[in-house]
Amino acid sequence: MRFLSLGPGEVAALLLLLLLLLFPAAAGAYQIRLATVIFMWAALAGSWNLLAGYAGAVDLGPVVYYGVGAFATAALMLRAHLPFLVSLVLAGGVAMVIAYAVGTPTLRLRGAYFAIGTLALAESAKQLALAWDRLTGIPLTGGSAGVSLPLSAGYLLFYYVMLALASLVTAAALWLGRSKFGYGLRAIGENDRLAEASGVNIHRLKRRVYVGSALLIAWTGGTAGYWLSYINASDFFGAGLTFQMVVMVLLGGLGTPFGPPLGALFLTLAAEILGTRFVYHYLIAIGVLIVAVSLFMPAGLAGVGRLLRSRRAGVQP
Amino acid sequence: MSILEVRALTKSFGSLVALDRVDLKLAEGEILGIIGPNGAGKSTLFNLIAGLERPSAGAVYYRGAAISGLTTDAVCRLGITKTFQIPQLFPRMSVLENVFVAGLYGKGASLGPARYQAETWLEFVGLADKAAAAAETLSLPERRRLDLARVLATDARVLLLDENMAGLNQREVAASVALLRQVRDRGRSLMVIEHIMRAIADLADRVLVLNYGEKIAEGRPRDVMRDPAVIKAYLGEAYT
Repeated sequence: MRFLSLGPGEVAALLLLLLLLLFPAAAGAYQIRLATVIFMWAALAGSWNLLAGYAGAVDLGPVVYYGVGAFATAALMLRAHLPFLVSLVLAGGVAMVIAYAVGTPTLRLRGAYFAIGTLALAESAKQLALAWDRLTGIPLTGGSAGVSLPLSAGYLLFYYVMLALASLVTAAALWLGRSKFGYGLRAIGENDRLAEASGVNIHRLKRRVYVGSALLIAWTGGTAGYWLSYINASDFFGAGLTFQMVVMVLLGGLGTPFGPPLGALFLTLAAEILGTRFVYHYLIAIGVLIVAVSLFMPAGLAGVGRLLRSRRAGVQP
Repeated sequence: MSILEVRALTKSFGSLVALDRVDLKLAEGEILGIIGPNGAGKSTLFNLIAGLERPSAGAVYYRGAAISGLTTDAVCRLGITKTFQIPQLFPRMSVLENVFVAGLYGKGASLGPARYQAETWLEFVGLADKAAAAAETLSLPERRRLDLARVLATDARVLLLDENMAGLNQREVAASVALLRQVRDRGRSLMVIEHIMRAIADLADRVLVLNYGEKIAEGRPRDVMRDPAVIKAYLGEAYT
């Protein structure tokens, strides 16, 4: 059976997942919180990678769905008094509907135009969210004051939800590596005109992965909102989140299943370790690290194995 | 009934008429050569038929049904596809994967059969030993053969080949002519844009000559090449 044949990377990932499921039993609150942050970034960066790394469409507005997920989850919990997980699932549906409507026209833009268009869209979404309550009279985002959620039921729930999301995103990327859908996306990413001439319905495929990626980002945003118990539009629609996703993917390895989690791990730990030692200057050090990785490992952290193998064989990569 | 029919097909870019009321019919299993000077509208004709551009007027019929207005991918799945004047490929995919994708989406095959068929088509065009290489490492003649394998894998019945022999040496051209005859024997109908007259004379059942967007001659290759209008517009006096 083809789909049961696992490569060494996939077996290692499954073993790691098993260890991570047991990790809270052996770790303290701080380690669990840090791991949750890493999973969150792995899920976000991984979702961005599904579209950019496979279909070659550089989306600079994924944060829209992070914000939509957070506010929709909060509204369903506060106004409809639904349980967290039910609200989260429904908020994902809201994000998918918006992504379908937004993706249909914007995904027809190519290259830099798509990137600029989505960046503008995200900024507009932020302004709209800030003004929503005042404009519509429907309380949803709380304007610049934001929305407070009830204090949540301990940190273990968030550890496991974020772990599930990161695993789901990674599994989706692995599936893209061997499925018909994934080959279609890669064809679009490498040469969209030729893909179209070879029978690939490029708009439909791109929209599918865009909507799927929006769903995963919205779930992550909804979980993060409840976890932090306070959300406001400036933070949850902020372009900084988008750029952090992009940097993590580029550091880890664009278009690879394990690149985004590696990038998330590396950058989160670097910020945590350097941030506690050099409170005022750690951002400079992180900048230097990012430049160094992109100079010496152009394929990202996930490409290091290949890089070393080709060095040993005496071939320039 | 002809497999492909073009009626009064016209394309204007602003005030420039790139293709002016061209009619043509392609019979099933036929090889139709398209010749004419640069800028005569040959590639525009192909782009209109394959759905890369929309006609300003006129229509294209495939097996009797109008197809103008369909997108390129829909036209391909229906049964018409083209190669590109500058051979196109998926650079970082393997040679096999380039053909494999066309089978998956053009033909609608599932993973197993598409892989097997891709191997068969690579064998057919003589690229089997390059199957695992990255497509971007291929030489120009190899890229042309890969492009041919790709359009064959889509299972399209009408293939539009845009200068598939340009840049090949004499021996490679002869091999290419033989290969295209075999393609026809496998149930494909071909339209071939080519500047190499010897190849067209060898290969085509009929030839259509375009000049400034208009059809100026059509017929058997030997007759067309003696046509004074064709000699004046394209071949030049020295050819006779």
